[in-house]
Parts: sequence; C-alpha cells; structure tokens
Amino acid sequence: MAKIELSNISHSYNPNDLNPTYALNPFSMTWENGKRYAILGPSGCGKTTMLNIVSGLVKPSKGNVLFDDNDVTNLITEERNIAQVFQFPVIYSTMTVFDNLAFPLRCRNFSEEKIEERVKSVSDTLRLSTFLNMPARKLTADQKQLISLGRGLVREDVAAVLMDEPLTVIDPDLKFRLRRNLKEINEEYKTTLVYVTHDQNEAMTFADNIIVMDQGEIVQVGLPKDLFERPKTTFVGYFIGSPAMNLFETQLHSDNSVKINDTTIKTNTNLSKLKNNNIKLGIRSEFVKVAKDESENLLEVNIQKIEDFGNFKLLTAKMGQLTIKSKINREIEIPNNTIKLHFPAEKCCVYQDNKLI
Amino acid sequence: MEKLYKFLKYTFIILWTVFIVAPFLWAVSTSFKDFQSVNSKVTYIPWLDFEPTLEGWRVLVKSPARGGVDIVEPYFNSIFVTCTASLISIILGTLAAYALSRFTFKAGFVRNNDITFFFISQRIMPPIVLSIPFFIFLSTIGLLDSLLGLVVVYIVLLMPIAVWIMVDFFNRVPKELDETALIDGCNPYQAFYKVVLPNSIPGLIVAGMFCIIFGWIDFFFAFILTFTEVQLLPVKVVALNSSITPWWSLSASALISVAPLIIVAFVVERYLSKGNLSGALK
Repeated sequence: MAKIELSNISHSYNPNDLNPTYALNPFSMTWENGKRYAILGPSGCGKTTMLNIVSGLVKPSKGNVLFDDNDVTNLITEERNIAQVFQFPVIYSTMTVFDNLAFPLRCRNFSEEKIEERVKSVSDTLRLSTFLNMPARKLTADQKQLISLGRGLVREDVAAVLMDEPLTVIDPDLKFRLRRNLKEINEEYKTTLVYVTHDQNEAMTFADNIIVMDQGEIVQVGLPKDLFERPKTTFVGYFIGSPAMNLFETQLHSDNSVKINDTTIKTNTNLSKLKNNNIKLGIRSEFVKVAKDESENLLEVNIQKIEDFGNFKLLTAKMGQLTIKSKINREIEIPNNTIKLHFPAEKCCVYQDNKLI
Repeated sequence: MEKLYKFLKYTFIILWTVFIVAPFLWAVSTSFKDFQSVNSKVTYIPWLDFEPTLEGWRVLVKSPARGGVDIVEPYFNSIFVTCTASLISIILGTLAAYALSRFTFKAGFVRNNDITFFFISQRIMPPIVLSIPFFIFLSTIGLLDSLLGLVVVYIVLLMPIAVWIMVDFFNRVPKELDETALIDGCNPYQAFYKVVLPNSIPGLIVAGMFCIIFGWIDFFFAFILTFTEVQLLPVKVVALNSSITPWWSLSASALISVAPLIIVAFVVERYLSKGNLSGALK
C-alpha cells in the first residue's frame, strides 16, 4: 500500500522521430493510499499506457513515478510490488489454480504456511475454493479472470492493484457481485485500486474518484456527482451520462443569461467577462423537466419520439434545428405535438471553447 | 448423401493406408528372404511362399572381417550426432526465437523479421552451396571426419528450423503472459523459464521432432564430410549396395533406420494431442 504520485509524466511511443506523437500529454496526479480510482475514456485515449507506466511495463518518456515519495521511475516491474490485471484472463496454464494464486507469493519467497493462508482467504473471497486442485486451463473464461484477479489480491503489501477493464469477459450478474467484492476488499485491506474502463456505469458505481481521459489528456478528475452535474468540458458532458448531455450553440444575452434561438435562458453563472463567441449551454437530460407552473427558462418544443425504458421515458424533442432530450417520469402524460420544457437555472452549465465557465 | 460421403471417406483412408503401409510390409517380408526367394518368383507369405531366414539381419551386425557390414557403430554415431545437434539447436534456437519475438532489434536497415529470415535462408540455399565452405571450415579447425565436426555442421543446419518454429510459436504466446509474470515478481529470466517455457512445450516438441528428423535423414553432409574414421547410418546403408543388390539386408537396414523416427512420432503424437497450448489466454 502506498501513495502513488505521477509527476509531469508524458509518454510517446516514437520519441526519436522528428515529430513524435504523444500517447500521454504532460500531467501530474496523486493517487491517495487506500482509495478507489477509475480511469474512464474512449479506446486509445492513453488509459492503458498510464497503467503500464505505473506498473513499470512502460518507462515514461518524461517525468517521474513516486511510490510513497520514493522515485521508482527506473525500477523494473519486478521491484515495484504492484499488481496488474489485464482485460483478458492470463493464467499459467500448466499450473493448478492453487499454484496460480500462490505464484506471486512464491516468487517473493513467502513461507508455505503464509501462502496457504493467503491463497485460502483470496479463493474464499472469489469463490474459487472448490477448484484449487484443478488445472487452471480447465476453468471457464470468467473463472480464469477470477484467477487473474486473485493473483493481484493475494499479496497484502502490494502498492496498488491496477485493473485494465478486468470484467469484460465476466457475465453481468457476477460482474455486479465482483465489483462489490472489490469494494469490500478495498475497505477491508485499504488496498489502492485503480480501475480502467470505458463503461461509465462501472466507473460511477465503483470509484471514489473518476479520472476522465481523452486523446492523451486528463480532462477531469472528480467525484462521480461532479462529473455528472458539472462536467468541466463538453467532452465529459458528452461521454458521461446516457443519453449524453444536451448541448446547444448559444449567444450571450446578459450577465447571467444566454439565448437559444429567441428564448432567453437564465443561468447561475456569471457571464460578464465572456466574449460572445463559441458559447454553448449544457444541461443533463435528467434535469430537463416538463414545465408545470414555472414562468421562465421555458422552451417550446415539438415532440419527435418517446421511448419507454421501463423505469423512465426518454423524450426526444425538436426546437428548430436543435434536438433536446429529457428523461421523464413514466407516469407523466405527454401531449402529442408541442410541449414546454423547463431548464432549471442551477443545472445549466455554460461552456466557452468547450470549457466550463 | 451422407452415406456416400462416408463411403468415399473410408475408401480414401483405406487406399491411403495401403499406399503408406505396403512398402513397409514389402520391406519386412523381403528382409527375411534370401537370394533365392528374392530372385526366383514373386512370393509374399513366409513359410508358405518362401522359407524365412535371418541372414539379411545377421549381416548387419557381423563385423566386416566375418563377411558382415556392421551398421551398429554408424547407428550409434547417428544417434549421438542427431541428438546432440538437435538438443543444442533447440536450446540456442529457443533463446534466439524468444529474443526475436519479444525484443525489437535495429541495426541499420535490419529488423527482427530480417534476422529471422536470415536464419531461415540457411535452409533455402541448396546444400551443395554450403558443402565447400563447410569442408574448408572443418579441415581448418581439424574436425573433418569426426563426430564433433558433424555435430557443428548439423547445428548450423538444424538451428534455423528451431528458430523458425519457435519464433512463430512465441509470437502466438500473448505478451501479457510475460508481463503478468514480471508483475507477479519474476525477473525477465524467471519469466522465461518459469512461465513462458512451460507454456511452450508443444512448440518445443514440434521443433525437436523436426530437428531429429532432418538430422537423422541427412545423407549429403554425412557423405562429404566423413571418410574412414566415422560413418553415419545413411552413408553406411547406401554403402551396402553392391553389384548384386542385397535386397534382404537393404530392407532390414531400412527398417531399423526408420524405427527411431516411428518411436519419436508415437511419443510426440501423444504430447501434441494433449492440447497444452489451449487455454493460456481466454
């Protein structure tokens, strides 16, 4: 267990070329001991590179990696005492399940009693106890992934467990249970867990802190609630939440309001210092409501379609060229043609050049 | 339709089996004949068609002084040269192949694939091209007409096979396996021999089998690089021939020449069908 600090890290896979392309642009970040982090972003945004830098499989082009203030940048993987689980199960197919789980401890010369005890504890948690004497290659894909996970968790003193989309091959029911297990393990042993995923629900339900990445940049670090309600960039707004955040091109109107077409929308943001170009208004479909008796921030829209998702209805409406989506309660009756939608001022986010004001 | 398919399938298999097995049976039968039985009329069944004799076999183990040809010594020479050269080729070839599969080499325009091709190119050249350099090389270092000299030459011939098979094999072993071993606390050498190597047993067996086959059947280099001191089996078998073809002893020597390869094939087949490879990933 350790505090992990990434200081001015950047990485390029072709650093010697004339114009190197960077998989990771310079950034600094600290992972506190014992917390759960999720790294969220589309494929190819640099998530895996970041993990590999921490585990030592990749040496960063620039910057330093510190474990508890000790510089480990030049240490090889073996010396870092870190655990990493890959997207697809990796097992030692010539060994039994027990030997697989014991392998990290044997490599570090633990006593056989200690190994026995740890393997038993981990296999109980992951429900692998009945398979311990079976050859690992005979297990199913999700059981094999449990072995990979188990090898990560079997060392108590590990600096952090890094997981690279580890639950991809596991069926949804077990996924849910495993995420809860991981949380329990984290709370019990105070192991730092870092979890890479492109599934926002997984990230939201698992992590204390979410790191959103895009094209080698860290776009936002924050609590799930912040990411949802106050996305720092339009990318985060677009990437997190289903459906994506409603975003509209707007014009400034006053110190705290903008205009969409001819409708004035008040916000709680001070807009006095902004220039009137490339302004966008963003609001979550969860916060767009069918108007009852509100007098301002109303948009009159034409209903396009209503989809029933069981626990809510998703309303898609048009105002001129703009498309607005709203998640509404199932019970609410909706007329067929036009309707007024209400944008609560406190939930409106204003962006200039795609950055939150 | 299905019946017809089945019928054709079995017909083909039976014909194929006859095609493969008939020469062996012919050799077995001939090895127990004498001059008379071979040269008079066509005969097949021992005791009924002809009187079996062990003369064809006896000649092989009798010393030349007593009218035999003595293939025992060449036989063991062949076993020694083939096994030693195969073993060394597999060890060196596996290490080279692992490096070529996992690390990136750069020397001028030369890349990993070029190096791999360089190894294979040794086998693309007609052997005759190599004969003079080998001859001069061995005579310079004084190993002409010796077992050690043959071992050296056979390593050059067999290692490309090992490299070729093992590069392809290691490329199919996921890199994550090595990485996981490193994360679990192995150093790169331990990752290789504790994790990657045990997962590569099927590949090693295939490579070993090819090395043994190609080493065992080589006639050309055994012929031009030895004279009187040492002789390998293929050379000796060919030397059996004389103005009157001794079909009986040729058949017997052919059978015992093939015997080790048949044993190898049976052993290897068991390992290959075990499917150790499946299930390392996914």
